[in-house]
Amino acid sequence: MTAFGQTSGKISIRRQGGSLVLGQRADRLRHAVALLGRLILLAIASSSALAVLFIFYFIIRDAIPFFHDNGLREFFTSTHWYPSNAAAPEFGALAIFYGTGMVTVGAIVVAVPLGVAAAVCLSDVLPFSVRQWVKPTVEILAAIPSVVYGFFALVVFAPLLQDKGGQALSVATWLLFGPLAALAILVVADVSCGRLRERFRNPARAAVMILLTLAALAGLWKLSAALAAIHISSGTNALNASIILGVMALPTIVSVSEDALTAAGRELREGSYALGATRAETILSVIIPAASSGIMAAVILGIMRAIGETMVVLMASGNAAQIPQPWYNFLSPVRTMTATIVSDMGEADQTTGSSRYHVLFAMALCLLVVSFLANLASEWVVRRTVAKISAVRGTGGGDAASRPQGFMRRVWSWIGG
Amino acid sequence: MHLRTRKIIDRSATGIGILAIVVMTAALVVLLAPIFANGTGAFVFRGTAEFRKYQSDRFDRGDREVLTTEKETLRQVRQPVYDLLHKFEHQLKNDDDLDARFGAEFPKLKREVYRLIGPPPGEALSRLERDEYGATRWDRALVQADSIVHVQEDRGLDSHGFSLKVEGPRAARYKGTSLEPMFGYVEMHLAELLRPQWTFYPQFLIDNPQDANFFGGIGPAVLGTIYLTLGAILFAVPMGVITAIYLVEYAGQGRFISLLRTCISTLAGVPSIVFGLFGLAFFINTIHVSPSKSVLAGSLTLGLLILPTIIRASEEALRAVPLAYKEAALSLGAGQWRTILTVILPAALPGILTGIIISMGRAAGETAPIIFTAAVSVGLGVKPWEVFTSPTQALSWNIYNVSTEHEAVDQIRHVQYGMVLTLVVLVLALNLTAVLLRARITRRLSG
Repeated sequence: MTAFGQTSGKISIRRQGGSLVLGQRADRLRHAVALLGRLILLAIASSSALAVLFIFYFIIRDAIPFFHDNGLREFFTSTHWYPSNAAAPEFGALAIFYGTGMVTVGAIVVAVPLGVAAAVCLSDVLPFSVRQWVKPTVEILAAIPSVVYGFFALVVFAPLLQDKGGQALSVATWLLFGPLAALAILVVADVSCGRLRERFRNPARAAVMILLTLAALAGLWKLSAALAAIHISSGTNALNASIILGVMALPTIVSVSEDALTAAGRELREGSYALGATRAETILSVIIPAASSGIMAAVILGIMRAIGETMVVLMASGNAAQIPQPWYNFLSPVRTMTATIVSDMGEADQTTGSSRYHVLFAMALCLLVVSFLANLASEWVVRRTVAKISAVRGTGGGDAASRPQGFMRRVWSWIGG
Repeated sequence: MHLRTRKIIDRSATGIGILAIVVMTAALVVLLAPIFANGTGAFVFRGTAEFRKYQSDRFDRGDREVLTTEKETLRQVRQPVYDLLHKFEHQLKNDDDLDARFGAEFPKLKREVYRLIGPPPGEALSRLERDEYGATRWDRALVQADSIVHVQEDRGLDSHGFSLKVEGPRAARYKGTSLEPMFGYVEMHLAELLRPQWTFYPQFLIDNPQDANFFGGIGPAVLGTIYLTLGAILFAVPMGVITAIYLVEYAGQGRFISLLRTCISTLAGVPSIVFGLFGLAFFINTIHVSPSKSVLAGSLTLGLLILPTIIRASEEALRAVPLAYKEAALSLGAGQWRTILTVILPAALPGILTGIIISMGRAAGETAPIIFTAAVSVGLGVKPWEVFTSPTQALSWNIYNVSTEHEAVDQIRHVQYGMVLTLVVLVLALNLTAVLLRARITRRLSG
């Protein structure tokens, strides 16, 4: 293309006798070529959009025969999943939807508190030098392939749960709730004694603390004893998959929330400090509300990652198409949509064209729709944040306007990543 | 609220944040520690004489003379075991009473012994290589020896209703028979029977797996992963970079462009398994890029998967190029295309490269998209000219396969960990490169 620019230049110079002004014809030609090049670029650029349409088209095309033959009712309401039964196959996917929902909820319960706390710590608490060491941790967690997480879940974590499940759970309880209880005791003791007169305050606080500590120890002891008595019959279960998925979703949640928290800006923080708020008060009542939409987007992206993940749930969830008894029993094996597609396609591959084959596309269509809606939701949430931040700052001023845009790009770059 | 209370609450909040960071870091350490600790065992381990013999027979490695001497020494040490086994087998044939007691158990025991020290020459139990050689690794040999010397006996059910098994010496069961001395002999002379030596086996990365991964390395899987990653890059980079150039340099703020952006972010959010199904339905079943699974179909699918990442990284890198560069080039009379090709692209190149390298890591580790389009669990390394037609092994899929669907998952843990370590090191090395590259860009932009 550059070569052409040179030639046209030479032609025009010869014609106009040394003038640098282009002749009309050469000018038109140049415009035409530029337009053509632009069109080629546009064609290539829109092929990625085309890819999305193709994905929808081909998944829907292969899903329709299933719904045509079997209708919607059984697929969405029955829990009987026996696609390989040649005489009377059953395609009730409710238990599989439930399994997906269950591990996703579990993963979110693990990842959201941890991820948001870590993000707050990264954006507002840690000094720069420490932050530089923590950020690679997040990046490495994000880079490790899912099959490696799955392998860990299957080969290291599942045997641990199966052999020493109860003890492991109770140790984890102590490690996690021990420090939290200590912090809570300190705060509650102080708050409850704050109104007393100076003379009584210290002894009263000590008394409350001792009482609360004893109560917390007793509670934790009872809880951990109850947990330790649990015998886990199979290490590959919803709990295993939830914890590992939670760790996998962590990097997404940490990065996106941290970006949102940072984007809340210096002015808000300084304003709050100037009014005499402590750091915790600033974070809890100013920064987090200001960044709430960004954190919401982070949670949505984390959910998407957990729903769409395949290898971990395939290796760690136990693959039993049943609704656990009772419904909240995280220690029983479950089966998810993604794992079903992988494990059933191996057999359905030879029977291309049968309902057994098409039902998997129907399942993929459900996944696709969910991820599409989640994607739209997160984009909408991010857009709202940008509008909100611009409104707070006022639209004037190049600096203020460019920051939210940068934030949006960064969030955008995390969607699905 | 009292000031002191507020301070305590403040500190607690800090404490919770730090607790979260510690938990996250601990998760990373807990995840990687066993992988690095056990994964190195595939490359550096105590190899037995059987390992050296196998390497010599199959790959023609090692010093022939040393091996011949060693073989002779081993023959002498092992002969008593074989003799005892033969003697007992002979007695079994002639003694009905003995046959009733041990007839069912003895063949299994013999197989276990052969699996430990190898069968005597010319007496392999089957044509499978695992039956022609003994334990090649000392750690496996110890487990194997334990299963010979000790035996699990059922002792009914325990209080939870699970079957209770008690380990006891097997020699006690054979007390008074001619086989009894064998157990003591194996236990006493285990090191002489197998002669373990520290071995460094880097060829693990390039050797073909033999006899369902019981022997050999992971060469085809490594090769397949490289093919698939490079193929995906080859497909995704031109498309991704051109799309990014269009979005940055040409596109305005129109409705079409925002639709395009929505499409790209939707593409990024599509679950990887859906990519796999799409690859199967489109590349293989509809436009028939290959008769069935192939490296090409897998690369195309993976390329589609990493396309959004590359578009975004390139877009960001292009936007980071200072406007002054562009203005200077335009003011010198360069056209828009020339400006892009000779000024903007070179300036953005390191940033684009960072994105490419990160997506290479992603493509190398992805499993779900290649299950239906490229990956198989057995087969030899694919030759470069076969990539358009033949499927391949890949590290990610093979990790799943050898750790779930293999007939003896417990016996090839070292292979599984070796594969996982290889994949993790590959991905982390790529990411490290990207991080270093990014650090350089930051330095250059600030300096």
